[in-house]
Amino acid sequence: MINAIQNGTKKGISMTIKLSKVTIPIYIIIKILELTPFFLYLSKFFSPVMKIFNLPGEAALPLVLGNCLNVYAGIGAMSALNLNSNQITTLAIMISFSHTLFLETAVIKQVKVDAIKMVFLRIGTAIIFGILTGQLLGGN
Amino acid sequence: MEFLITVGTGSLLSVFNMAKIIIPLMIFMEIAKKYKILDRIGMLFKPVTNLFNMGEKSGLLLVIGLVFGLSYGAGAIIQHTEEEQVPKKDLILMMSFLSLCHAVPEDTLLFIEIGAKWYYLLGSRLFAAIIFTFFLSRTKKFRNDLQVEIE
Repeated sequence: MINAIQNGTKKGISMTIKLSKVTIPIYIIIKILELTPFFLYLSKFFSPVMKIFNLPGEAALPLVLGNCLNVYAGIGAMSALNLNSNQITTLAIMISFSHTLFLETAVIKQVKVDAIKMVFLRIGTAIIFGILTGQLLGGN
Repeated sequence: MEFLITVGTGSLLSVFNMAKIIIPLMIFMEIAKKYKILDRIGMLFKPVTNLFNMGEKSGLLLVIGLVFGLSYGAGAIIQHTEEEQVPKKDLILMMSFLSLCHAVPEDTLLFIEIGAKWYYLLGSRLFAAIIFTFFLSRTKKFRNDLQVEIE
């Protein structure tokens, strides 16, 4: 029992360190970018697409980071942006379905199933549930 | 200067909030592994594996992926296929389910921490995974085990 607790604590700490290496830089970069007009352009560019999820344009950033890097990158970006609880819920659902695509697709391939189909399944489900939750919860 | 302080405290706070979730969760998972709690939960999954027309052992494999995540789940599945033959259709069904729904405690808790509504999050993940896997298992190709046996 004590052994399990020790191992768990060790794993938990090393994992937290691993995660902070992802989230802290992303958090800091976003906070710096907020001082520039970056998000103004990003938001303008993505808002037509993000509208179907009832999300602001800049919410594209956590989606991209979550899908290309991992959940923690998405979470880091989400906590740096100013989003309300409904928007966070919609993003959380979308990222839950579809994240860490490069790495996890490689993992799926090892089981010798068609990994590309799984990618489509994940992205498709993320989009469908993103639209459903976004419309159901509303923007505010 | 003010900016540095805000960013510094903000990022440290987010790390602290993650540590608050991750460390107890890892301790719990180590205990679960040691006392084979998952094997017991795997048994409870029998109705689920029956629903998907899967072999009995698949229940435990699904639980491992659901709790520990995709890499861990895939590892357990690969190890299991080395020990005994698993129909290809079971592998596809398991991976479809786990693609949509894995590492549930960790992801859900981390998203709750930043303000997500957990019932929507958990509900849609489980719903999507169960419904999709169920319908996939009822398609013509999957209904007949022999047709998609491992080559």
